[in-house]
Amino acid sequence: MEKRNHFSVIVVGAGHAGCEAALASARLGVDTLLLTMNISTVALMPCNPSIGGPGKGHLVREIGALGGEMAQCIDETCVQMKWLNTSKGPAVRSRRAQADKYLYRQRMLNTLFNTPNLLLRQGHVTEIIVDGGRVAGVRLETGVGFSCEKLIVTSGTYLNSRIILGRASWDGAPQNQSAAIGLSDSLVKAGVRLRRLQTATPPRVLKSSVDLTKLTELPGDVDAGGFLWENRLRRYEKQISCFLTFTDERSVEAVRRNLSESPLMLENITDEGPKHCPSIDRKIMKFPDMVKHQIFVEPEGWESQELYLQGLTTAMPPSAQQDILASVAGLENAVVLRYGYAIEYDALAPGQIRKTMESRVVDGLYTAGQLNGTSGYEEAAGQGLIAAINAVLALKKQPPYWPSRTKSYLGVLVDDLSTWEKPEPYRITPGHAEFRLTLRDDSAERRLAADGFRIGLVSQERFASIYEWSARIEKEIARLGVLSLLPSGEARERLARFNSGDLKKPASGNELLQRPGINYQEAMDLLQQPFESRLTAADEIYAVETEIKSSGYAEREAEKILQTAFLEKIHLPMITADPRLQVLSSQAIQILNSDRFDDLSQMVRKHCLSRTEVAILLSVLAENSEGENEVEVKND
Amino acid sequence: MSKLKIDTIAAVSTPAGRSAISLIRVSGPETFKILSKLFKTGGKKAFPLPYSAYFGAIVEPDTGLVADKCLVTTFLAPKSYTGEDLAEVSTHGNPVVVSRVMQLLLKNGARAAEAGEFTRRAFLHGKMDLLEVEAVSQLLSAGTASQARLALNQLDGLPSKFVARIRDRLIHNLVQLEASLNFPEDAVEAIDEHLLAIEIKHILAELHVFARNARNGNLVADGLRIALLGRPNSGKSSLMNYMLGRERAIVTDIAGTTRDTLEEAMMIGDFPVKIIDTAGMRRPGDRIEAMGIERTGQAVDSAFAIVGVFDGSQPVSSEDILVLDRIKSSQKPFILVCNKTDLPQRLEESFFSGCPTVEISSLKASGLPQLVKTLREIISSSGLSELEEMVLLGAQQSVSLDKALAALERADQGIGTMYQDMLAIDLEEAVRELGRVNGETVDVNTLDLIFERFCIGK
Repeated sequence: MEKRNHFSVIVVGAGHAGCEAALASARLGVDTLLLTMNISTVALMPCNPSIGGPGKGHLVREIGALGGEMAQCIDETCVQMKWLNTSKGPAVRSRRAQADKYLYRQRMLNTLFNTPNLLLRQGHVTEIIVDGGRVAGVRLETGVGFSCEKLIVTSGTYLNSRIILGRASWDGAPQNQSAAIGLSDSLVKAGVRLRRLQTATPPRVLKSSVDLTKLTELPGDVDAGGFLWENRLRRYEKQISCFLTFTDERSVEAVRRNLSESPLMLENITDEGPKHCPSIDRKIMKFPDMVKHQIFVEPEGWESQELYLQGLTTAMPPSAQQDILASVAGLENAVVLRYGYAIEYDALAPGQIRKTMESRVVDGLYTAGQLNGTSGYEEAAGQGLIAAINAVLALKKQPPYWPSRTKSYLGVLVDDLSTWEKPEPYRITPGHAEFRLTLRDDSAERRLAADGFRIGLVSQERFASIYEWSARIEKEIARLGVLSLLPSGEARERLARFNSGDLKKPASGNELLQRPGINYQEAMDLLQQPFESRLTAADEIYAVETEIKSSGYAEREAEKILQTAFLEKIHLPMITADPRLQVLSSQAIQILNSDRFDDLSQMVRKHCLSRTEVAILLSVLAENSEGENEVEVKND
Repeated sequence: MSKLKIDTIAAVSTPAGRSAISLIRVSGPETFKILSKLFKTGGKKAFPLPYSAYFGAIVEPDTGLVADKCLVTTFLAPKSYTGEDLAEVSTHGNPVVVSRVMQLLLKNGARAAEAGEFTRRAFLHGKMDLLEVEAVSQLLSAGTASQARLALNQLDGLPSKFVARIRDRLIHNLVQLEASLNFPEDAVEAIDEHLLAIEIKHILAELHVFARNARNGNLVADGLRIALLGRPNSGKSSLMNYMLGRERAIVTDIAGTTRDTLEEAMMIGDFPVKIIDTAGMRRPGDRIEAMGIERTGQAVDSAFAIVGVFDGSQPVSSEDILVLDRIKSSQKPFILVCNKTDLPQRLEESFFSGCPTVEISSLKASGLPQLVKTLREIISSSGLSELEEMVLLGAQQSVSLDKALAALERADQGIGTMYQDMLAIDLEEAVRELGRVNGETVDVNTLDLIFERFCIGK
C-alpha cells in the first residue's frame, strides 16, 4: 500500500468498539484507518473472560444479525457456551460464552489484517484536529498527522488513566500499558465535556494452586449453539468448566481487617463506578449482614493457567488481597499471578451524544464504548457498529440509521445512552428493555437482518437464507392458526393423556399450543399431522412455540410499541412556531426547539412532556402536516 | 413535566354577593411581597409568621387611602393548603370592597386564579395525591350530606394509603423477580412462586373490595340512577312529574309522546338520585321512536334500580308482559307501580304476584310516600349506606384500577405454569396502573431497587 495520510474514516482505539467500527466501515467499502497504541493488545479482554448473559448476549446476537464481528469471533474462540435463564422465560433466555482471551484477540487481529479497505497501524493519538467545528483529522505523538472525513474515537479506559492499588497509584492502563495522554485536552479544547469514571478487576490466580475439589464445577451446554445465526445449532462437544465458591465469615473478617487500605476508605479514587460490579470491599460495607458472596471462577483460555475470580473485584493492596484469598474455600493457597486493581479514566459527561453515536458538539466526531460511559465488551461492540454505520451513511450523504428501542437491544442501548443522566456507567440488562418479549434472542435476525442487508453489511446470500428460515417459522405459525382439532371422543381422550384439560369446541393449533404443558410435537400429534409436514430444526420449533405461547403478552406489548415507534419518528429539534403550542410549558417548548433530545419518545420517557402535552402537540402537528407532510419522519 | 407557572395567584373564595365577610386567598412565592406593599398591620408582630393572624388595613399605595380594614391569616410554605406561601384576607363582605381589594392585589403582581388552581397547586406540591384532589372537587360540588361525607372520608387519605400499601407489596415482589431474571449469574434467591401466588390472591381480594367501594362511591357521587320503565302511555311521565313535584315531562294521552329519555335529579332520603323517564317499550313505530327505545335499553343497563310502571285501568297487554320480562331479566332491584288507581281497575292483580308493588295515582297525587319508602329500603339493602368504606375515582383512575386488576388476574391464573418473565410483565403493569390511581410517579425504577436490595456484582 502506498504511503498516504488521508482516510475517509479513522478509528482511534482497537478494543471491542474500535474493531467493530473499523470492520464495519471497511466492509461498507470505505477506506479506513484503525489506530491503536499497541497492535499486540488488539481486542483485549482486560476484565472477565466472558461474553454474553441476559441483555449482553442479546446484543451479541444482534451484532451478528446486523453484520458485525463479535458474534462470529466468540463462537470460534470460546471454551464454553452456556444457556442462562432457560426456565425463566423466552424474554430473558440468553447465552453466555467463556472466551479464550488469547484466541479471541488473535482471531480478531487476523480478521482486521485480512479485511480489504482497512489499514491497522500502531500509533498514540494525542490530538484531534477540528476545523470550524468539524473534525479534520488526528495527530500522533510522533507528530505524524492523518486527515479524515469522519472520526470514531473509542478510547476505552485509556484517557488520562490512572491505576490504583491500595495507597499506590500511577499513570497507566490495563495490563501494564500506558495511558493515552493529550487526547483528553484536545477533546476539551473542541468543546467536549469530560468526567472521571472508575472500574476495577479481581485478582487472577494460578490454576494449579487452587483446590478445585472444594469448588462446584459448572460445565457448559453442548447444545447451546453459537451467537451467530449460522452457528445457532452448532454443538460444542469439547468445553472446559467454570467453578463456583463462596465467601464466608472468615472472608468478611479479612475484608474488614484490611478495609483501611481500601481505596473506598482512602478516597483516592472517584466514586463513580459500575453499580453492577461493586468491589468485594464495597459489598461487605453495603451489605454488612451478608457473609456468603458468590465467587465465579473462570478459565482464561484452553491453555491458560490463569483463573479469573469474578466476585472478588478489589483495589486493596496485594497483602490484603492475599489475606482475603486465604479465607475462601478452595483458594486458601492460591498463588496470585496478577493482582486486582482499579482504574480511573476520562469519559464523556452525559448529554453529548446522539442515538447515532455522533457528537452533539463536534461535527463528524463519533464516539463509542467506555468513553461514552458504558461498561462491557458487548455494549462497546454494539456502539462501535452503530457509530461506523452512521459515519459511513453520513459520508455517503444518506439519512442516518436510528435503531429503534422497539426493535432491538442495540436501539435500547443507544437510546438510553443518548439520554443517560446517572453518574454510574451503563450496563445493558433486560430490565432496560420495556419490549423485551419482542426483543427475544431467538428473533434477532427477524428483527434486524433486513436492516443489515439495506445498510450493506449482510450479503444477499445471507439475507436470502435468513429470509427463508424466518418464512418457515412464520408459515408454520400461520398453518397452526388454521389447523383445527374437533372435540371428538378420541381427541378428548388423547388430550386427557396430556393432562391438559377438556375440549368442548373445535380448537386451532394455536389454541392447543397455548395450553400449558403442550409443546409443538404434541400439538402436531393431536392434530394428526404427518412427520414430513413438521418443522425439524430445534430453533425453529422453539420460535414457533414461543411466539404462540406468548402471543397474548406480545399483543399487548405491540400496542405500546406502536405508540413509542410513532413518537420515535418525530425528530427533534422542531420549530414550534404555531401559536397554539404556547399552551405547552415553556420548558417543554425550549426542549422541543433545542438539540437536547433526538426524538419525541425520549422527551416523553424523560418526563419532559406529559401525556396531555403530547396529545396537544400531535394534534397541532397533524393539522399542520395535512397535505404538506410537515411532520418530519425520517427513515426507520 | 408540570405546566406549573411559579407565579402568585389570588381569588375570592367565598360566594359572590353581600355577606358579613368575604375571604380572598393569595398563594405563590410573591404572596407576602405583594401583601407587604398593601397591608399595614396594627400591631408590632413581625409579618409574616407561620399560622398567624394580623389585624390591619389594606391601603392603596399610590393614594394612601384605606380600601378596607381586615384580618390577614398567614401560612408559610410548605405548611399551607397549596404548599406555597399563602395568605387569607378576610374583608368586609361588600362586593365593592372585595373587588377593590382584589384589584389592588392583581395590580401589584398577583394573577387571578383559574378554577381549581389552588387545589392543582396543592397536588403539584405533593400536598395531596390524585385521590384527594378528586375528593376536593367532589366536596366542592357535593349537593348532599352523603356526598360531602364521602368526599371528606377520602380527604383523610385512607384510600390512597391503601393503594400505596398494595403497590409497595407488589413492587417488593417485582424487584425480587426482576433481580433473578436480570442477574441469573448472581446468587439472587429465586422467588418462591407458591408464596407469590398466595400474595397475589390476597392482593386481588383486597383490590376487588376496593374496586367495589369505588363503584359504589361513584354511584353515590353521580346520583343513583332509577329508570322508569313501562309500555307507552302507562303514565311514566306523569309519575315522574309527580315524584319531582313539578311538570318536567310532556304528558299527553297519545302513546309514545316521550321519545327520548329524560333525566331529573331528586333526593330519596339522604341520597341523591336521578329519575330517568324512558320512552315506552313497544315495537318501534318510526325511526326517532326506535332511537328512543334503544336509549331505553341503555338506561336500563346503567340503572341502579328500575321502577316498572303499569296502567291499572287497562287489562294486561303483551307489551306489559314484555316490560315485566325485561325488568326481571335485568337482575337489578326493582319495584312495580300500579298507576292510575284513580280510574276503575282492570289490571289483573295476579300480574304483580311475587313482586314488590305500590299503587299510585299520579293524577290524585297519592301513593308516593310508599314508593319512596320502598326505594329507600332498596338503597340501604345494597350496602350503599356504608359511606366510610367508599372511594371516589375519576374516570381515568377507574380505567387504571381495572387494568391493574386485569393484570393481576392474569398473574393469578398463570402463576405456576407461565414463565416468570411474563409474570413480571403483569406485576409491572399492575404496579404502574396502581401508581396512576394514586397519581404517584408512575415509573418504577426496578433496576435501581434491585441494586439497593441485592448484592449484585461480578
